[in-house]
Amino acid sequence: MDSVLFEPAWVALRLSLKVAAWATALDLLLGVALGYLLARKRFPGRELLDAIMTLPMVMPPTVLGYYLLVLIGRNGWLGSWLQKSFGINLIFTWQAAVIASAVVAFPLVLKGARAAFESVDQQLEQAARVLGVSGFGIFLRVTLPLAWRGVLGGTLLAFARAMGEFGATLMVAGSIPGKTQTLSIAVYEAVQAGQDDHANLLVIITSVTCIVVLVLANKLTPNRNQIQ
Amino acid sequence: MHIKIDIRKTLRSGDRQFQLQVRLESDSQRLVVFGPSGAGKSQMLKAVAGLMTPDEGRIELSSRCLFDSAGGINVPAQQREVGYLFQDYALFPHLNVRQNISFGLERGWFNPSAKADGESLRYWLDAFGLDAVSHQLPHQLSGGQRQRVALARALIAYPRALLLDEPFAALDPALRERMRAELDALQRKLNIPMILITHDPDDVAAFGEHVLRMEEGMIASVQ
Amino acid sequence: MRNKFMAFLALAAMGSAQAAEVTVSAAASLTNAFKEIGAAFEKEHAGDKVLFNFAASDPLVQQIAKGAPVDVFASADQDAMDKADGMKLLQPGTRKNFASNSLVLIAPQGGKAPLKAVPDVANAAVARITLGNPASVPVGRYTKAALEHAKLWAAVEPKAIYGTSVRQCLDYVARGEVDAGFVYATDVAIVKDKVNVVATVPTETPVTYPIAVIAAGPQAALGRQFADYVHSPAGQAILAKYGFGRP
Repeated sequence: MDSVLFEPAWVALRLSLKVAAWATALDLLLGVALGYLLARKRFPGRELLDAIMTLPMVMPPTVLGYYLLVLIGRNGWLGSWLQKSFGINLIFTWQAAVIASAVVAFPLVLKGARAAFESVDQQLEQAARVLGVSGFGIFLRVTLPLAWRGVLGGTLLAFARAMGEFGATLMVAGSIPGKTQTLSIAVYEAVQAGQDDHANLLVIITSVTCIVVLVLANKLTPNRNQIQ
Repeated sequence: MHIKIDIRKTLRSGDRQFQLQVRLESDSQRLVVFGPSGAGKSQMLKAVAGLMTPDEGRIELSSRCLFDSAGGINVPAQQREVGYLFQDYALFPHLNVRQNISFGLERGWFNPSAKADGESLRYWLDAFGLDAVSHQLPHQLSGGQRQRVALARALIAYPRALLLDEPFAALDPALRERMRAELDALQRKLNIPMILITHDPDDVAAFGEHVLRMEEGMIASVQ
Repeated sequence: MRNKFMAFLALAAMGSAQAAEVTVSAAASLTNAFKEIGAAFEKEHAGDKVLFNFAASDPLVQQIAKGAPVDVFASADQDAMDKADGMKLLQPGTRKNFASNSLVLIAPQGGKAPLKAVPDVANAAVARITLGNPASVPVGRYTKAALEHAKLWAAVEPKAIYGTSVRQCLDYVARGEVDAGFVYATDVAIVKDKVNVVATVPTETPVTYPIAVIAAGPQAALGRQFADYVHSPAGQAILAKYGFGRP
């Protein structure tokens, strides 16, 4: 295999890792917050909200990509506002790739977080309240330490999903080498152009990365011999 | 201790409804509320602790108003300064004995360290004979040890009153006698006001200075 | 006995004239014209169906090379057809040009970038320019060759947003996501209320479209008939209607 191929492949890998990392970080913040809300608070329309937030998981990525394009494109509802107020155009930027991946992977964090929080005995949180600890303190000291494995599981799945995102990303971020051409898009382009050698290298890199993420996931979320 | 409760709450579960209506007043240091399971005793105790908000009414403890629906007062559980012993103890499974007991001494965002130390902590570990197991996690302790850890955790911050929810139900009968005696001695030594709810007549016999019966959400009679 | 035999022959004959499906892979720019040609062909060949597969020419070649059951291939430049020929995919003697086109520079309607002529693409105010990916899309190759000849490629390449097909480039311009784009003259008609033609771009090689029958196609005979139809006056008239030039 040509050594000339390695450089663009590493560029695509670095970009994929960067986009997936940002998307996962965003999802972690929002997913944990919303997951906790859905797990603990009762309010009318709660399950409807959960269903809507889970939608990106079952929608075809191209449909999602289209919705995002309509929303953040130059003539879109959010996009035109960004253009007018800040002169920002998100389309064809790596930030758009982050948004696409974040939307697509969000349900994975949300589901993991909600299930994890629901599995934490609320009596423990009550005990902490009577002992004088404030709401956020209880979350940090009691709820999260007991739920972190489930949250982490969902987060790793989200990271893997974000790494593999293609359809929605292609629509809003395009395929610009070095800027938005992630590994999955690079594979597609290589195949389109008949560059099989290049495609093979990219596929190997992507597979190795996924395996590493999965091995890490298994190591960090050991099964059942935990504290009850 | 003077306690005055006058509250009402409708609890819903699916399509079933449960009405809680409690009116009681006591000057005793040892109040026992006795009644069958499902009578609503736990809910009443939770209301005193601030873990359940009544629909309407008033709760006064040691001339401090904790709850008054008419006056818009609802002191958060964090500030009520009561100790609560849960039926299953509700020990934090990820923290060791030292951290569990000193949990309430740290009011911020961080748990006490695994090697936590301090005068009060040492006192309680010693008083309850927990020195040997002080670095163990709750699942490694025996039933009696768990109860003592839960008690120490509740008492370490000098609460104004101790609320106990069926404190001996989780223990086997042989152990119960011993733990009753221990709690009896402890309460007398500290002279801390105590509200104990139970369905076990032996508890009534051991602790009932002032005994109230509760049935189907209502305080029925006074003995 | 003889009657039964005749009945059997008749059935067999009907069987061979039964509805067949011919699969045509064609360059994206041919989408509208070929759909109409397909409908007309189906009218003349009652019972037969034409299945289309539109995409950039190079990916289409890749699919055929990897075994896709395609009968006819129409590409937007000689390069893609040469690739197919080099891989021995074509039935000998069936390759022939059937249409021509021209390359144009377009801008979104209401676009603010200062674009009056092709050299303006070098202007810094023209921030985003879309063209087909030269590695896989014929229109990208025509564009790159033209810009290189005009010594504008160095200025355009850093601003390039590659489309995976000419229709995607068209979409980017129509949505206003880019300031300029290079597409075929025939594509403009599709969204003429959203884009303006700035100029026609002279190309290094003429933009000609070849068509060929695929050697391993499952419906070779019907494929030949379809290719012949494209060359026929009827087919040529439809192509002219959509703005294509003579081959």
